[in-house]
Amino acid sequence: MKIRLKLFFALFFATLGMFAWHAPQVHAATTYTIGTDVTFPPFVYANSNNKYVGIDMELIRSIAKEEGFKVNIKPLGFNAAVQSLSSGQIDGVIAGMTITDERKQTLNFSTPYYESGIVMAVAPSSKITSLKGLKGKTVAVKTGTQGATYANSIKDKYGFKIVTFDDSDNVYNDVKTGNSAACFDDSAVLNYGVKTGLGLKIVTKPTDVGQYGFAVKKGQNQKLLKMFNAGLAKLKKNGKYDQIIKKYTGKAATTKTSKSNSEGSTFFGLLRQNQKAILSGILETLKLTIVSIICATIFGILVGLLGVLPNKFARGISTTIVYIFRGLPLLVLALFIYNGVPSLTGTKIPAFVAGIITLTLNEGAYTAAFVKGGIEAVDIGQMEAARSLGLPFGKAMGKVILPQGIKIMIPSFINQFIITLKDTSILSIIGILELTQTGKIIIARNLEGFKVWAIIAVIYLLIITLLTLLSKWVERRIND
Amino acid sequence: MANLKVDVTDLNKSFGDNHVLKGIDFKVANNEVVVLIGPSGSGKSTLLRCLNRLENPTSGKVSIDGKDISNTKTNIDQARENIGMVFQHFNLFNNLTVGQNVELAPVELGKLSKEDAAAQAKKLLTTVGLEDKYSAKPQSLSGGQKQRVAIARALAMNPDIMLFDEPTSALDPEMVGDVLEVMKKLAKEGMTMVVVTHEMGFAKEMADRVVFMADGVVVEEGKPEAVFDHPKNERTKAFLDKVINV
Repeated sequence: MKIRLKLFFALFFATLGMFAWHAPQVHAATTYTIGTDVTFPPFVYANSNNKYVGIDMELIRSIAKEEGFKVNIKPLGFNAAVQSLSSGQIDGVIAGMTITDERKQTLNFSTPYYESGIVMAVAPSSKITSLKGLKGKTVAVKTGTQGATYANSIKDKYGFKIVTFDDSDNVYNDVKTGNSAACFDDSAVLNYGVKTGLGLKIVTKPTDVGQYGFAVKKGQNQKLLKMFNAGLAKLKKNGKYDQIIKKYTGKAATTKTSKSNSEGSTFFGLLRQNQKAILSGILETLKLTIVSIICATIFGILVGLLGVLPNKFARGISTTIVYIFRGLPLLVLALFIYNGVPSLTGTKIPAFVAGIITLTLNEGAYTAAFVKGGIEAVDIGQMEAARSLGLPFGKAMGKVILPQGIKIMIPSFINQFIITLKDTSILSIIGILELTQTGKIIIARNLEGFKVWAIIAVIYLLIITLLTLLSKWVERRIND
Repeated sequence: MANLKVDVTDLNKSFGDNHVLKGIDFKVANNEVVVLIGPSGSGKSTLLRCLNRLENPTSGKVSIDGKDISNTKTNIDQARENIGMVFQHFNLFNNLTVGQNVELAPVELGKLSKEDAAAQAKKLLTTVGLEDKYSAKPQSLSGGQKQRVAIARALAMNPDIMLFDEPTSALDPEMVGDVLEVMKKLAKEGMTMVVVTHEMGFAKEMADRVVFMADGVVVEEGKPEAVFDHPKNERTKAFLDKVINV
């Protein structure tokens, strides 16, 4: 038992050490990590080859080339990107971010690289042509966007209600189905959508014009900011800037994309077209699941054993760990570890490692609870009989109690493995490109919400079925 | 005092507000068979469990073979190797076979090699009349068989003293005889034994001394014939009347 425990510890720390050793490589001298939101076409999105393209991507890459630095693009989502920037996890953000006074409090912006206003879009059959037509109606917006801010600022004047969604896809669908009368969004984004077959029409001129800027944390990475400004000026001078803008807002780009959309409008078409992205999403999900299951099981068994030691202090630690990490919502824990801890300590944690730590703590707490319960479910007489023979606590535990307790725990272990697999989807919040995040990105491009989510759901069920079969097989082997 | 196997002085044990043992003095000589009797809740089992520190005494001193069991600095695991214990509910290790139950402690504690432990286990199982159950799982045994395996398991550590905590209370009546036979054999071989039991027949026949306890104190003790036939204390009389005239 002792040797096995030592082995567990060794493995555990070796794994952690591996991550720690990998971590600094992300930030080699001239490579900057840039966060973005890849669900924001035409500024940033993943094309059908799962490459990140769009105005922002082409700009930052061209500027990097001009100025001689390298970029490492992190598809974090808008909120996570801004939070990661302020906690120092990444060096810069380019994600169609409007320069506002509020954001200037914590960020330094580059010279503006794009100007865009807010427009209103309605269903093709709608008779609404101006803001006045919105009285008593509902309007859909996307959380945290300029469109939402604008809608809020005029809702009392025009007498409409607001409903908010996290994804553009949901915003547009709500208008198409008639639940909402209209939506407000960025003109470039909506123009692009209309051209690629969104099925909405734009009825107002851009208002509330805002400027997009590249951002770094206030007072930091000033060199990067300077290089961005210098590079942008060069691109504007040599015509490359106009080329890029034209490529993504002109006719050529949009017709090409809509063609690829029509290719993949069936389930199998979508699957074939996105097979690379989905496959790498599955792999990432599996990697997360397997590493988390191993770490959480080791952590959970150790904490669970701590909880049955004949020592009040040890039991107290165990109870506290279980109380804290079982009590925290997974989402909060993930954001706390990825964004909260680094802004306090100043050390960067790669998203994958943060994800593993999150799942290890959360799933491990549940594991610890049923490990402790399983051990306590073994008749106390077994321990007394073993101890009365002169066996020390550890030997009695290892040879008599645990083998019986584990049998009691097996169904809970299988259950926990499945929950762990499902919980990896929550890590999409810190931008890990697992299956759920992959789905979000694909939908941001093709707006095929129903079909893509159905595909993702079936894949999860398939993996869970395989995992269950594997677990049952192991269970039979142990019980024989 | 050199031949005193068990020496308990002024032993007190409380569970919260419940004062279970109230200043017990209790001695057992070498090779002596002592039977503890008394109504339930009188503290017999608690006293027995204090002898190998399955219960920690609240105060007082417990010595076995001159070793201070009640002192927390004493290596209790080492001391327990010489104190065999048999439980009311057998407590056979359910994850192991009968043979493994008997072999576990001597092998794990480095007393015997695996081969020697297996040979010893077979010999002990023969002694208790269960040589054919060596590879069986405990779940397949009757209560009486389980208890005999439990005795063999305790004997495997070659203890100097055996503690029995109501070894026949959980058995069907027809099983009791086999277990008592094994215990009698042990007693005849000179094993020092402390037995908590309601088997008055066994007490009369085998005990060198009977100790009657009630409400956490030793009320009366003496040779079996003295205690059973001429009890001096009223409570002893009342108790014996109840258990003997069923």
